[in-house]
Amino acid sequence: MLIEILQQTINGLAIGGVYVLIALGLTTVFGILGIAHFAHGSISMFGGYLTYFLVTAQGLPVLAAIPVALAAGILLGLLVEILAYRPVRNANHINAFIVALGLTMMVEGINLQLFGHEQVVIPTGLSRVFRLGGITVPELRLYVIVAAIVLVVAMMIFVERTKTGQAIRAVAENRDAAILMGVNVRTIPLIVFGMSTALGVAAGIMVGALFAIAPGIGEGLVVKGFAVLILGGLGSFPGAILGGTVLGITESIAAGFISSAYKDVIAFVVMILVLLIRPQGLLGRAP
Amino acid sequence: MLSVRDLKVSYGGIEVVHGVSLDVAAGECVALIGANGAGKSSTLKAICGLVPASGGSISFEGNDITRASGHAIVRAGITMCPEGRQVFPQMSVIQNLRMGAYTRTDPEQEADLSRMMDMFPILRERQSQAAGKLSGGEQEMLAIARALMARPRICLFDEPSLGLAPKIVASVFETLARIKAMGVTILLVEQNSMMALNLADRAYLFEAGRIVMEGAAGTLRNHPDVMRAYLGH
Repeated sequence: MLIEILQQTINGLAIGGVYVLIALGLTTVFGILGIAHFAHGSISMFGGYLTYFLVTAQGLPVLAAIPVALAAGILLGLLVEILAYRPVRNANHINAFIVALGLTMMVEGINLQLFGHEQVVIPTGLSRVFRLGGITVPELRLYVIVAAIVLVVAMMIFVERTKTGQAIRAVAENRDAAILMGVNVRTIPLIVFGMSTALGVAAGIMVGALFAIAPGIGEGLVVKGFAVLILGGLGSFPGAILGGTVLGITESIAAGFISSAYKDVIAFVVMILVLLIRPQGLLGRAP
Repeated sequence: MLSVRDLKVSYGGIEVVHGVSLDVAAGECVALIGANGAGKSSTLKAICGLVPASGGSISFEGNDITRASGHAIVRAGITMCPEGRQVFPQMSVIQNLRMGAYTRTDPEQEADLSRMMDMFPILRERQSQAAGKLSGGEQEMLAIARALMARPRICLFDEPSLGLAPKIVASVFETLARIKAMGVTILLVEQNSMMALNLADRAYLFEAGRIVMEGAAGTLRNHPDVMRAYLGH
């Protein structure tokens, strides 16, 4: 029983890492621009598809394909900010909302046109399995967990320890005061979109390697990402990290002990229960 | 140093500042006084680029900054300590102070940081606390110190005494007097006319979006109209 719980916790950490990366990307964009960036999941999947394409059709090694996909994803993120969100920056919020929905359909369409409707799995060739006591850990899962931790730590260092990172926080907390500090509030959204898309593409590659990429997966991931933000407490980075991990582990334990068919239902029931007790989320501040 | 000519400011098509001209020389302390809604704060916001000027011009050290963006104006050397403190509430006191030095690249930022905390011991005491947890008076001190961290050539203060207890107001003005004594050029907007006129070298009196009187602070302080309308004599 204990072994089984530990086993499912390890499994849950890998998918939880994916949720954390998606949620951190969504929360930084939301904090700066007040936009629910629904297209985030589809752009993440674009990165996953591109990695698959580079590895299978171009014969690139996975480790070489990942940076290319990250760079392409970041570029796409910048274009999205400039072409889609910037024009509606000062308009009514509903405009950005509609743009975000339209963009999701567009990117899904582009994915479909470029990569087809087949379900694909990124071949990593990582098939070793580590055994620790009674627990088995596939090496791929371990690398995914480590990569997610490295990315989260890197992002926290960037935001907390660099001038640009502090400017991002400052704009999120008080835009006018940030201007008075000399922050260029036109370049900050670009940096945020670059960072958020990089985390999203990394998550997309992880999904493609661990499970599979198919049309619609990205949209599901965005819904999970927002669920994580609400669970952890909107606007809180530690909340997003805790929320994503909790959701991943809950899903995994539910799938292991009850049925994988019900894992989403159980995860959302847990989420609703948490919000009944703490409406502001796990680490959110009370209003 | 700072020269505003025939400045007009509008919000949504309604003009609130109707052609204001004023000058601030290097090393001077100039106060803009007048009733609430007279256009003092809007003038200040237009100078630092937070609201666009709908007419007129603003120049700083010979350069036209009328259409410059807010961050470019800060880099030119104009810093504002905004109305209502506007600290970054979830960032720590020390992170707020460091944000003040955002545009600087010189190596003396850390020395300035400890200088600010010498000047405001409460900020040293509370340095790792979230700025939003400070009292109103402490937040005002933080906002002033944060503005000074930029080493501005001119520092604009927008209603620094607003919403503070009388005792705290006195200490805010003591602080402003110290900053003035340090040689910082000051443009101050203040509803507390008596305090402002005691501190300033020169002053402009605003009424309904226009300047109706200007001159040495002492002259305005003793002018019968000003005394009656704004100083309560």
